[in-house]
Amino acid sequence: MDSALFHRIRRRVLKAAHFFGLFVAMSLICLPGLWVVLNSFRPTVEIMAKPPVWIPNELNLDHYRAMFGGIGEGGVPVLTYFVNSLVISLTSTIIALLVGMAGGYAFARYRIPGKGAIFVSLMVTRAVPGVALSLPLFILYGRLGIIDTHFGMILVYVALNVPFTIWLIDGFFRQVPKELAEAAEIDGCTRWQAFWKVEFPVARAGIASAGIFAFLTSWNEYALASQLTRSLNSKTMPVGLMDFTSQFTLNWGGMCALAVLMIIPALLLTFLVQKHLIAGLTFGGVKG
Amino acid sequence: MYRMRLPPWLVLLMPAFVILFAVVAIPLVLSLYSSFTAFQLTRPESITRWVGTFNYEKALGDANFWAAFGRTVLLLTVALNLEMLLGLGLALMVAKVTHGQRLLRTMMMFPMMFSPILVGFQFKFIFNDNVGLLNNALQSLGLTDVAIPWLVDGNLAFIAIVTAEVWTSTSVFAILILAGLFAIPQDPVEAARVDGCTPFQTFRYVTLPFLMPFIYIAMAIRSLDVARAYDIVQVMTAGGPARRTELLWTLIGRTGYVDARMGYANAMGYIAILLSIVFTVYFFRKLSAARTSLGMGD
Amino acid sequence: MADVVLKGVQKNFGALAVVHAIDLSIVHGEFVVLVGPSGCGKSTTLRMIAGLEDISGGTVQIGDRVVNDLPPRDRNISMVFQNYALYPHMTVRENLGFSLHIAKRPKDEIDKAVAAAAEILSLTPLLDRRPGQLSGGQRQRVAMGRAIVRHPDVFLFDEPLSNLDAKLRTQMRVEIKRLHQKVGTTIIYVTHDQVEAMTLADRIVIMRDGHIVQIGTPLDVFERPMNAFVATFIGSPPMNLLPATVHDGQLRLADETTMPVPPGISVRNGRHVQFGVRADNIMPDGHAMPPTAHMAHVDMPVTLTEPLGTETLLFGTLAGTEVQAKMLNPRPVKPGEVLRFGIALDKCHLFDAETGASLRA
Repeated sequence: MDSALFHRIRRRVLKAAHFFGLFVAMSLICLPGLWVVLNSFRPTVEIMAKPPVWIPNELNLDHYRAMFGGIGEGGVPVLTYFVNSLVISLTSTIIALLVGMAGGYAFARYRIPGKGAIFVSLMVTRAVPGVALSLPLFILYGRLGIIDTHFGMILVYVALNVPFTIWLIDGFFRQVPKELAEAAEIDGCTRWQAFWKVEFPVARAGIASAGIFAFLTSWNEYALASQLTRSLNSKTMPVGLMDFTSQFTLNWGGMCALAVLMIIPALLLTFLVQKHLIAGLTFGGVKG
Repeated sequence: MYRMRLPPWLVLLMPAFVILFAVVAIPLVLSLYSSFTAFQLTRPESITRWVGTFNYEKALGDANFWAAFGRTVLLLTVALNLEMLLGLGLALMVAKVTHGQRLLRTMMMFPMMFSPILVGFQFKFIFNDNVGLLNNALQSLGLTDVAIPWLVDGNLAFIAIVTAEVWTSTSVFAILILAGLFAIPQDPVEAARVDGCTPFQTFRYVTLPFLMPFIYIAMAIRSLDVARAYDIVQVMTAGGPARRTELLWTLIGRTGYVDARMGYANAMGYIAILLSIVFTVYFFRKLSAARTSLGMGD
Repeated sequence: MADVVLKGVQKNFGALAVVHAIDLSIVHGEFVVLVGPSGCGKSTTLRMIAGLEDISGGTVQIGDRVVNDLPPRDRNISMVFQNYALYPHMTVRENLGFSLHIAKRPKDEIDKAVAAAAEILSLTPLLDRRPGQLSGGQRQRVAMGRAIVRHPDVFLFDEPLSNLDAKLRTQMRVEIKRLHQKVGTTIIYVTHDQVEAMTLADRIVIMRDGHIVQIGTPLDVFERPMNAFVATFIGSPPMNLLPATVHDGQLRLADETTMPVPPGISVRNGRHVQFGVRADNIMPDGHAMPPTAHMAHVDMPVTLTEPLGTETLLFGTLAGTEVQAKMLNPRPVKPGEVLRFGIALDKCHLFDAETGASLRA
């Protein structure tokens, strides 16, 4: 009797603790981000107020207006940055996907001598820290005259994304049974047709999510972009954030507005593929 | 007519090899070479001044370098372990939820969408001693009267950086571990419960071993990305004040671009690369070992 | 007309030979089953015929063409895979019509062919579903439909029933046989299940370790196994094998029990042999088939019984070896009860103790 009561109470307590824990964790995860969004709508005076203003008195679009208007202190060529980011990220993603599909397919379908070693060495190239890479790249790009060009940035981002894309896509192709391609070949397809008509459509969702992962990496990258871009020709949004800083001050509200502009596409894309992304990472890794 | 036939896998992997060779391997060879010279960015001709292992000796004898090295290893160890533990806890909590789990999962991924540079600014502002969110909150709640110098004091700044790092990357662990939790076959778990295991024992002896490969995947993925910390630290403290939060990457960046001593920076860069590679290979090894022990290998 | 002829076909994976110079000719319209334990090379042989594996040596001929170097699509074959290999992103209709679509046939021709195949396999109501929405047996039928749509010269089946439950398997077995009677195309069918082989085949090809052990009609291989392996592999329960020695025209088992050498077998004195008797030919007195001219009798304790309804399977120990026997018109038997069994010697076999080769001429 007592024991049953004890267990019932214990279960209630555990349930409450679980709920409370989740609530705290989710708050910690979301609040810093939401705070950025909130600040993008608040006047600078209020953000910087001392003592702090907790409940916003006024919300407006001033920072966005300044950002897009190119006037006054918020005179940042946001649209150009946005376009640069978009062009560079999209192009590099598409190329990285093509290269990654070829490589991932090779890993998933062929017996490769020294497969593990090749795989890890591909991965290791991704582990080279951006700063360590940007120094020699800076010199090399200088020689080739491709500093501050879209081409240069696309090239770097393709290289940055290829290892990871191969890993993900390898995992997705492994989930596609080999027999499907064999059946297609017996049904009269060439190997090439079998790939495009059967294996590719089946793995399509996974490949798309690998693409979005690549896109996010390029979209958010800073270390390399900060060294290899110089001007409006190729500056991307993460680098553009720096325009809101000067030696001693920081236009926090304006920065938040640009941040929101950066987050929205990322948010949409991540939401679209979250399921496949998880599946891809785990299948690729665990069933390797 | 004789035509050389490459194996198809090599043809397929060729584009990847070529592009990685051009963008990663060649620059690395170049930087390896320049690390043996007295190359200065401002004096291009200095690249031919061969100084042998001087830069490496200098780095190895430089207290600043070792301090940065130690701090980097400490940061990685603390951050990765914290992320793993928090991620595990978060995943376990989310896995227990039945309604609205999809929403929670999406919320969990929220920090992953933030550019590291943005995270840097965000936390720089949160930890700002004057108008920062944290100090404001502490003061409004009456917990303290003074402005705590989060980003000025070396130890506090380290904590602030770890916080930012953990905030962005815990979700990587949480999501992968969550995927692992869903993939666990129920039979052994039920068998353990029938065999009289407490919930903790079940977790310890059945669930956790099964989760290990997933944890190592997360570790491997994270170890590929550790240098993301550069962006965050660069923005939050830039290694300052007075080198108190200097990491290898910020030190390299400053030496190379601000001081223009490329040769020296590249020498340090090589040491940082080796460090990354050691981490990455270590976790891939662990991953394949964990996989084999669970019979999930090839 | 499409005969399939294999001449000295080999397959090596590196230094490892998995198929050793196989010769086999299959005539048009024949239903041939390759059967053997896993790893015997039967699937590899089938995949070489399909063109999914390179042929390391010898030739494969389909019709009058040597197809060694032709890709699968040019061999005019179709194949049903163990896991069906249905295209998950296509409807049943698209799955069925895929090969014709690839061959760029006109649309109405495709529609007609798909409709005909769907009719034969009663798939018509399922045409617009996707494979994910079908049951195992339905998927199996779609896989077969996909194979018949293009009217190939040869059908290849790679363990098509092994993923189905026992009941469906029996049902699909009948459907496959009916399909063969209807379309009359050559079928080469791989399985590890001897029941499937026995029930389906015109001819059975028994393989082991990359060699063909015996080729023959189901009754052939059942009644006249060439060696002890075939004897134990074909038939259920497997043939009992008892070690014995020959003395003065008598078999002497390990426990000194003696009985005559089965009629029609001549064997010299002192030879070590294995005495083979199927459960159908060792039955307790009073529960047996009518006795034949050559009977031997033994007493054997029964250790275990498996009632099957019309008959009961009896497990006993004879001369130190476990033996399975059958009891017709069964009555309850207690474990430990000693029964007197009659052995129909003219249905028994002798195999060489070392090589396992049958001693029946």
